[in-house]
Amino acid sequence: MPVTSNASAQAAPAAASQRGRGALIGAGLLALALLPLVAGASPYMLGLLISALILAGLALSWALLGNLGGMVSFGHAAFFGVGAYGSALLAGKLGVPVLLAIPLGGLIATVFSLAMLPALRLSGPYFALAILAYAQIFRILATELDWLTGGAAGLQRYPGLPTVLGFNLADRAGSYVLVLACVVVFALVYMALRRSHVGTALRAIADSEDATRVVGVNATVLKTWMLLLSAFIAGVFGALNAHIIGFLEPDYAFSGIWSVMPIIAAVFGGYRSVLGPIFGAVVIYLFDQVIAKSLIPVGHQILLGIVLAIMVLLAPNGLSGLVARFLPRLAGRGLSNAEKGHA
Amino acid sequence: MLELDAVTVRFGGLTALSGISFRIAQGEILGLVGPNGAGKTTLFNSISGLVKARGRISFNGREVTSLPLHKRARAGIGRTFQIPQPMHHLTVRENLAVAQVFGAGRYDEKRIDEILAVMELSHKADADAATALALQELKRLEIAKALATEPKLLLLDEVLAGLESNAKRSFMLKLKELHALFGLTIVIVEHDIETISGLCTRAVVLNFGQLIADGTPAEVFNNPAVVESYTGTAHA
Repeated sequence: MPVTSNASAQAAPAAASQRGRGALIGAGLLALALLPLVAGASPYMLGLLISALILAGLALSWALLGNLGGMVSFGHAAFFGVGAYGSALLAGKLGVPVLLAIPLGGLIATVFSLAMLPALRLSGPYFALAILAYAQIFRILATELDWLTGGAAGLQRYPGLPTVLGFNLADRAGSYVLVLACVVVFALVYMALRRSHVGTALRAIADSEDATRVVGVNATVLKTWMLLLSAFIAGVFGALNAHIIGFLEPDYAFSGIWSVMPIIAAVFGGYRSVLGPIFGAVVIYLFDQVIAKSLIPVGHQILLGIVLAIMVLLAPNGLSGLVARFLPRLAGRGLSNAEKGHA
Repeated sequence: MLELDAVTVRFGGLTALSGISFRIAQGEILGLVGPNGAGKTTLFNSISGLVKARGRISFNGREVTSLPLHKRARAGIGRTFQIPQPMHHLTVRENLAVAQVFGAGRYDEKRIDEILAVMELSHKADADAATALALQELKRLEIAKALATEPKLLLLDEVLAGLESNAKRSFMLKLKELHALFGLTIVIVEHDIETISGLCTRAVVLNFGQLIADGTPAEVFNNPAVVESYTGTAHA
């Protein structure tokens, strides 16, 4: 009779769960990649999916700041808008190639986020309010600095996405692939960061700052890095969006929607996980635009609120929490089937 | 090793510590004693950098008075809190890993396993720190975290409080073992005279933020000022 050690008996379900989770992540990303085919690749559906992925990137950057930096932001529109304007101005006025202007837009958002550093001493609602005010300041600046930003009329004459190696990034399919690639890259960066010792320390800071500082963690520096990284990611997606839609005006680029929607998406998907905000954004955006809008053409956001309220009440950890709750059962079922097979 | 010179801490109009001066030699186990509100934890907070103090605090010949908390930890000042403060959403092993990487500046899995074994936490290594540990285990984790930073000086704030007498005795033996094993200098805040007498080579007594006695445990506990501070009456 084979003898199984206690440790290996415990490790088996864990490994099965890990395998299951890996398969789920792979399947999820594959589904996102194949969504345009499923959606019939109509320009309208592709447009919706691109917007959903832009929101996914923004939600990812919001969740990174909340999950690893312990900071709740009500002002991600600031980074999104600055990235958008930065990239559009670089490409439109200085002739910087668009694919270079986009990361530079993210970099400009990062530089401007340095102005937020004094707010890092604040916590909870005080930080949230400070960053909200910050977003308003940039909307006003973009309106008032006529000579640079075009003022309230905005910017329209700047280049769109280019064609690379015969692949036209400006058409819907090309834009979709580019935005999806950016989401995947930033998700991988976020995952790697979370798994590192820095990520572990950051999660601990969110719990108790003194407990981490007393063992040598420089909480202020780590939180600063998270703010800068979050601003960079938001700026890149703002820049991508600017070059896809082809126009910018302050009320759009710095709209409160870019502050509120990533919160809704991340909370709906489960902001403590990496994939939660991404899938949350796709599900919630498509629900809003396809289902809610067809039911209530004006004021459809009310349905969004109801769905979010139900999710928060029934599954506070969001979609990813629901998956995590049911995945071990599926993995366990798979394992017991495998054991039966061996018997 | 540690030198305090006229250390004073004020919170608004309240003077929590007033001109505290004493030295601690390498390898000492010093008991910090005093009634509630005497300033013991405030003294720990000022040594470890949690509160700002006036005066001068030197550690291993280097002035650390204005160094931030994390830099003092990296310099070799480890501490525990009276109410254990684990990093709640991390496992026991992750708690130690963070402490080691940031406090000692390196990651050594083997060393973490050794600390877990010494602190009798190996069986809980991958358990969630917040939900899976009993009080005594949380106190051991608190010390294990400090040890992972590879401290030269360990400040223990009432680590024996709340333990029943058998657990207290075994914890005392554990502290002696750690002292010998890691070559530590230890300062321990403790109310129990028996514990201080059994563990420490020297005791310093605070009362109302002032140092009122310094000597061997036998000397300080027979000091009339100390007896009065505890009982409110002069020693017969």
